[in-house]
Amino acid sequence: MKHNRESRSLILLTILMAVLLSLIPLPEVLSPFKPYWVALVVIYWSLETQDMINMGLAFLVGLVLDILSGSLMGLHALSLVIMVFLVQHFRSRLRFFPPWQQALSVLGLLVNDRIILIWIAALLGEPLPTWQYWLPPLIGMALWPWLFLLLDRMRAMARQQKS
Amino acid sequence: MLPVNDKNLVSRESSSPGRWFGEEGSRTARLMIYILLAIVLMFMDQIGHYVPRIRTAMELAFEPVFHVAGWPAEAFESIELRTRERNKLITENQQLLEQLLKVSGSVQTQTALVQENQRLRDLLGATRGREYFFEFAEMTRVDLDPFSHKVWINRGADEGVLVGQAVIDGLGIVGQVEDVLRHLSSVRLISDPDHALPVQINRTGLRTVAYGRGETSHLLMPNVPLQADVSPGDVIVTSGLGDRFPPGFPVGEVERVERDSGETFAKVYVRPYAALDRGREVLLIEVQKPPEALPTETEDANEPPQLEPQDEAEPLPVDQQ
Repeated sequence: MKHNRESRSLILLTILMAVLLSLIPLPEVLSPFKPYWVALVVIYWSLETQDMINMGLAFLVGLVLDILSGSLMGLHALSLVIMVFLVQHFRSRLRFFPPWQQALSVLGLLVNDRIILIWIAALLGEPLPTWQYWLPPLIGMALWPWLFLLLDRMRAMARQQKS
Repeated sequence: MLPVNDKNLVSRESSSPGRWFGEEGSRTARLMIYILLAIVLMFMDQIGHYVPRIRTAMELAFEPVFHVAGWPAEAFESIELRTRERNKLITENQQLLEQLLKVSGSVQTQTALVQENQRLRDLLGATRGREYFFEFAEMTRVDLDPFSHKVWINRGADEGVLVGQAVIDGLGIVGQVEDVLRHLSSVRLISDPDHALPVQINRTGLRTVAYGRGETSHLLMPNVPLQADVSPGDVIVTSGLGDRFPPGFPVGEVERVERDSGETFAKVYVRPYAALDRGREVLLIEVQKPPEALPTETEDANEPPQLEPQDEAEPLPVDQQ
């Protein structure tokens, strides 16, 4: 609670970076592997801080992402709100999982999210996506431990600067 | 939606508002509210109620973000261009020159055809054909949601782009301009499931509508009569009905015809010519309304739009029909 101020700006900064990362195109070959950056960062923050990120903020971030990525307004908002809810719900358990188990839960969250998105897409009359649609959750899982370490590091650095 | 969020941002003591339902219950209740809100938003966006207008306004506010997001890829490309081997450049240049020669050859014959066409039209007393100007634009390197069927191009209101303008690439129709920002505009692709394109089969002149299917690989023409003369390989062009897309531009080729005798219509699948998923360079079509009256009073009515595109990258005046 002491570090509220600085953490908040760090949270917003990392989320902004995640949003930008999701807009920056990868080379053609890698593009189906693009992870859901914003979700990963949001999961991290809602896991690591008690109340710095809540569903309201997730909703807002989702709306920004919707506007920027041209998806249906409210689509990413919905997906991120559900993500934060689930993390908060299972937080006490998730936090004490060993890294590999945590990565598996992240996979679960991301797959769940993809299922919701596919369901909405189906309602809109979109054709079913190819198998490549399921790659990003796997990449997200693989990236999770590293992202976790990176964000932890950033947090520690921000804290040091503050004190 | 904003006040709700603000309240939540400000109220840090989110662990205590469990007055009515207890903590867990209040969280679930809030989840439900947000889900409902999101669903309402999505629904309104889908039926085009209010939300698209808010989106346009927000896009205008976020325009710098698009430019920033485009930088890395552009920088990468310029580095790649600079370090490209000399031999490769020379062969590429050679190929382009040959291509240019071929194209200008076919254009030469076309001018003769255009004049002939004009003479015939004059003989018939028909209206003059329209004149088109093409404005070059590039897609910006910003990744969008794969379900959005939208791309951003680097020309906007400042360059005179208008909502509804048709966009083509070197091969065929790409889509139409949807939102116009200052230096960017979004193009709705013809593959969007909500997009309908008035077309015509070039060989027979049969008019119909080609709908997007959410896939860049094909469009669907669901309203072709069972007995209609359509076969794979037929070229599909725009019919010009609906006044959005100018007539006569190639759209694609019939790929497959499904005739089920139980149904009223045949299903015709069309493979679009345009590189919807991998193209970079596009052309915006500017339609020059034909001078209806004789050149007496057309001076001021016709001058400004004709001059406007000329200070921008030299559009080619090409005459269709």
